[in-house]
Amino acid sequence: MYTVSSQKRSWTFANEGQLMDFRVEQNSKYIELHEEEAQGRDLNEHFLTSAEERLLLKQYEIYLFDFCRRFEPPMPKCVVGTAFHYFKRFYLNNSPMDYHPKEILATCVFVACKVEEFNVSINQFVNNIKGDRNKATDIVLSNELLLIGQLNYYLTIHNPFRPIEGFLIDIKTRSNMQNPDRLRPHIDSFLDSTYYSDACLLHTPSQIALAAVLHAASREQENLDSYVTDLLFVSAREKLPGLIDAVRKIRIMVKQYQQPDREKVKAIEKKLDKCRNQANNPDSELYKERLRRLYTDEDDMPAEDASFHIADVSSDTSAMNISQ
Amino acid sequence: MDDQACPRCKTTKYRNPSLKLMVNVCGHTLCESCVDLLFLKGSGACPECMVPLRRNNFRVQLFEDPMVEKEVDIRRRILRDYNKREEDFASLAEYNDYLEEIEDIVYNLCNNIEIIETNKRIEAYKRDNREVIQRNKTRVGRDEYALEEMLELEKVQEEAPEKQREEEKQLPPPKPANEFSTGIKFGQTADPSLLPVPKSEEGPLFVYEPLVPFSEGPTMPPTSEIVSRGYIAHIRAETPQENAGGFTSALACERALQEALQGLYYTATTGVVSAT
Repeated sequence: MYTVSSQKRSWTFANEGQLMDFRVEQNSKYIELHEEEAQGRDLNEHFLTSAEERLLLKQYEIYLFDFCRRFEPPMPKCVVGTAFHYFKRFYLNNSPMDYHPKEILATCVFVACKVEEFNVSINQFVNNIKGDRNKATDIVLSNELLLIGQLNYYLTIHNPFRPIEGFLIDIKTRSNMQNPDRLRPHIDSFLDSTYYSDACLLHTPSQIALAAVLHAASREQENLDSYVTDLLFVSAREKLPGLIDAVRKIRIMVKQYQQPDREKVKAIEKKLDKCRNQANNPDSELYKERLRRLYTDEDDMPAEDASFHIADVSSDTSAMNISQ
Repeated sequence: MDDQACPRCKTTKYRNPSLKLMVNVCGHTLCESCVDLLFLKGSGACPECMVPLRRNNFRVQLFEDPMVEKEVDIRRRILRDYNKREEDFASLAEYNDYLEEIEDIVYNLCNNIEIIETNKRIEAYKRDNREVIQRNKTRVGRDEYALEEMLELEKVQEEAPEKQREEEKQLPPPKPANEFSTGIKFGQTADPSLLPVPKSEEGPLFVYEPLVPFSEGPTMPPTSEIVSRGYIAHIRAETPQENAGGFTSALACERALQEALQGLYYTATTGVVSAT
């Protein structure tokens, strides 16, 4: 039941302004903590601004979708939806400067596979990643618990796919529309584009589903308004304006989406390499040192003998380059 | 059968399951306790027919009808004297006449017909055939002797197992069980070294509150209508495996509809205060 779920209680927000506040807050928190790294330079020069972070994350959302689409074996839609949810939720509470999105991206998909009962082993999983697979395995597995913790252990995601089926059943049963199945391609493409928006953090899955159905109907030159007003909301007319507003907002959000400028993103990534949290960068000495300490403390063995993949990895920066 | 009762004290088999009815030569029943009471001196009169009776002659009533008992009694007495056999007669017809005479006498005595006449007949017969009676009695003795021999043989055969039984008696009697097979003694209380189980304080009793689904959307069609109104026609039929697991297509259909309808009325008012 979505209405009593943690998704509604903790992860459905009032408006985009609220989301923006969280992101700005995370950005300024990070800058405050790492101020001395700028070494007197202009803070906006050294660190990413909140807007730049948004742009970067938008680009990685595209990477995320591509990664899922090319995933072998092909994954069900709900895994993609769940992975997007996790990705968005994670960066509401964290700055991409703290945790690099390419690492979190893979971890989100991995956790989503588990939660949605799409059974792939870690070896099968990293086969979809170009670059050093051992390193990728390490990154995914070491970030897994971090991600789950940052999601506050709320792992159940209500995706709009089942509501879509419900609406189609209802339309086929109660309305006299001809062959509602021809809406499906439009519905699917609409839902794919909602991934890039914040719709899933602002609206209920059934509202997103209904928006998709209505959008698809208008594409097919069909009108389902009478279905909504006369059948769905016949007993609660006063609720209708709220729904119309929600559907309109979702459609605008999808319509207004713009792909980030490639050149800008490249510049941002370069900037990120300098300002990212080195303690969380698996290529940095700081990270290796931290890990080494972690291992030796646990097992009480000399650092030289510690045999873990990270230490052996050359400075292969292409490890998690999913996009290229 | 169900009201076997003592005619004197009216006790029935139902009220006293250990009731034992006794009968004497006159054929009237009395229960064991009445016999004990009336025949304390060893003899007395039957309370029904006033015939003088002796206590020794009381027997446990075997047949339900006391008249049968009486007849059995009389027949035994008559046959003691009328003990001729077939070989004592010249022809079968004579033997049959003799048997019929016995039956006549028994019938007369049982039903109190010409008792004096009949008794005279018996006396006459006894006098006339004293020798034959005496001879047959000894023959009976011989027959009995043969029977006794057979009994003796049987006894010898039975003795062997009896010996074994006696040997068993020699063995020490088994210890009376005072512990379970696990070694825990009967009636043993908890080990004092263990802490007593803390008694949980009982809170208020559970009060059932029916679950009111909060759907925040249009009401679902009731389960019964999923099939009757044709919703189910638009969903894949379940496979036999799914059906065996209880996942019918109606269930899936209902779930899809439920998820479609719930949350449709949602409007963001306050939202979430903090993301974590």
